[in-house]
Amino acid sequence: MARSIKIDPITRLEGHGKIEIFLDDDGGVTDCYFQIPELRGFERFVEGRPIEELPRIVTRICGVCPASHHMASAKAVDGCFGNEVAPLAHKLREMYYQAHYIHSHIAHFYALAAPDFVCGPDCEPATRNILGVVAKVGLEIGGRVIKARAMAQEIQTILGGRSTHVVWCLPGGVSKGLSKEELERIKPMANELYDFSLFSLQLFKDVVLANPGYVDLILNGPYTLNVHNMGLVDANNAPNFYNGQVRVVDYEGKEIHRYHAHEYTQYVAEHVEPWTYLKFPYLKQRGWKGFTEGIDSSLYCATPLSRLNVADRMATPKAQEAFEEMFGILNQKPCRALLAQHWARLVEMVQNAESLLDFCADPEITGPEFRVVPQRITGEGFGIVEAMRGTLTHHYTCDEKGICTSANLIVGTTNNNAPIQMVTKKVAQTFIKPGVEVTEGVLNRVEMAFRAFDPCYSCATHTLPGQMPLEAHIHQGGQLVKTLKQNL
Amino acid sequence: MCIGIPGKILDATEGSLRMGRVAFGEVIKQVSLALVPEAQVGEYVLVHAGTAIQVLDEAAAQEVLDLLEELAESMEDRP
Repeated sequence: MARSIKIDPITRLEGHGKIEIFLDDDGGVTDCYFQIPELRGFERFVEGRPIEELPRIVTRICGVCPASHHMASAKAVDGCFGNEVAPLAHKLREMYYQAHYIHSHIAHFYALAAPDFVCGPDCEPATRNILGVVAKVGLEIGGRVIKARAMAQEIQTILGGRSTHVVWCLPGGVSKGLSKEELERIKPMANELYDFSLFSLQLFKDVVLANPGYVDLILNGPYTLNVHNMGLVDANNAPNFYNGQVRVVDYEGKEIHRYHAHEYTQYVAEHVEPWTYLKFPYLKQRGWKGFTEGIDSSLYCATPLSRLNVADRMATPKAQEAFEEMFGILNQKPCRALLAQHWARLVEMVQNAESLLDFCADPEITGPEFRVVPQRITGEGFGIVEAMRGTLTHHYTCDEKGICTSANLIVGTTNNNAPIQMVTKKVAQTFIKPGVEVTEGVLNRVEMAFRAFDPCYSCATHTLPGQMPLEAHIHQGGQLVKTLKQNL
Repeated sequence: MCIGIPGKILDATEGSLRMGRVAFGEVIKQVSLALVPEAQVGEYVLVHAGTAIQVLDEAAAQEVLDLLEELAESMEDRP
């Protein structure tokens, strides 16, 4: 009898994180490896497909930040068709992207950032206040949060024509423009989102910054790394999420690199380790120097905080005020404290909301020239945008018929793979000491480090903070001496 | 590479912090539904870090599941 064996791709992609911790004879940590399930094969999967299909396919696979992939992919496809793009299309795409950022940042601040700080006995004073935020979000502010997210979503729907799996960007532009009537519908929502972004920033200040214990946790906990920063900036070195150049600034504030998307292979390379499928991007011109901190390190973070660290200023006035206030209180720029990510995200959201209002006021935004139909295939394209979780690069080549011959993606979280490894080790070294019993609490602290990056790993995606399935193996003298499991 | 797998809502508890069980194929997770009050049992959601961030209609969810199936098959014969 014929038998068919079905392998459920979802079951295969689901998994749990594994941490291998190696101790010396005295019980101190010598090494720590963090292994996580990874989706492989996507780049080869798209080879052989018409290149213009890629912006539509990527949004289906990467549903957590679909607009980021849609935009980066569209820019790379524009390049494959000679990079002749209607200027209005760039404006419309960027306008859309502001709404997408707001939509995403609201979810992260209100749903994810708060629970992150609930972990660990060290942060008990802060925890009480953060729990207060959660309670308020649920009971009083919750409705406002949900309404703001819905408005950010609605703006994307109006611009892009559908709410999920957007198919709007085409080579040379977008498939529909913005009518005057549609713009009038967007304007009041954009105004409300502006108010909401200021409200969120104030909430952070009132509830979080008012607690010295919390500021101490951000600045003085083990969650700091001396690695460099990456982000997209405009000509004035203000953050730009859709356009601009990649700027890399060391952790003392000195510019290391500034480059265009098509130059990325000269500046970023990916290191491979034998113990994981993950790749570790690093600054190519410095060479791979291992998982090391320090001013000569070749490693960088690409996160909301990195984006503000590489910027000299914000692009809009209220965001500028918030930027100055944040770095003034942190008293450090660039800031190396990873837990300041959540504050940086809110400062970004203010710029997103102000930019959205600027696009609404642009007299050209409802114009008719939203696409240039490509006339030639040039065969190679590069698209870089700032995804919410880090600088996102798409690089495609195609043949003379427009069939994809290669694709390379460096996704947001991937940039941060090495820093995530390093902070994991640092946290392990901080809390696993000779003579101290290793407990499940260690896993909580590790997860807190990991969550600051808001990574999109398959094991993290479907799991609530504090419930991520993790397994830790402690090795000593060549033997496995202890196994700890969390939520397995 | 990150992934957004649609999950089907099996049940939901009401209250200020709405939760529900969501099935991703054979894997069932407890997920926060606080951000998607409109989501109904039987509908599909996209989930990030244990929080449902978007409701998908069945056709959109099926598109993703088909594509994931295709991706899985394309990986079968590749190292």
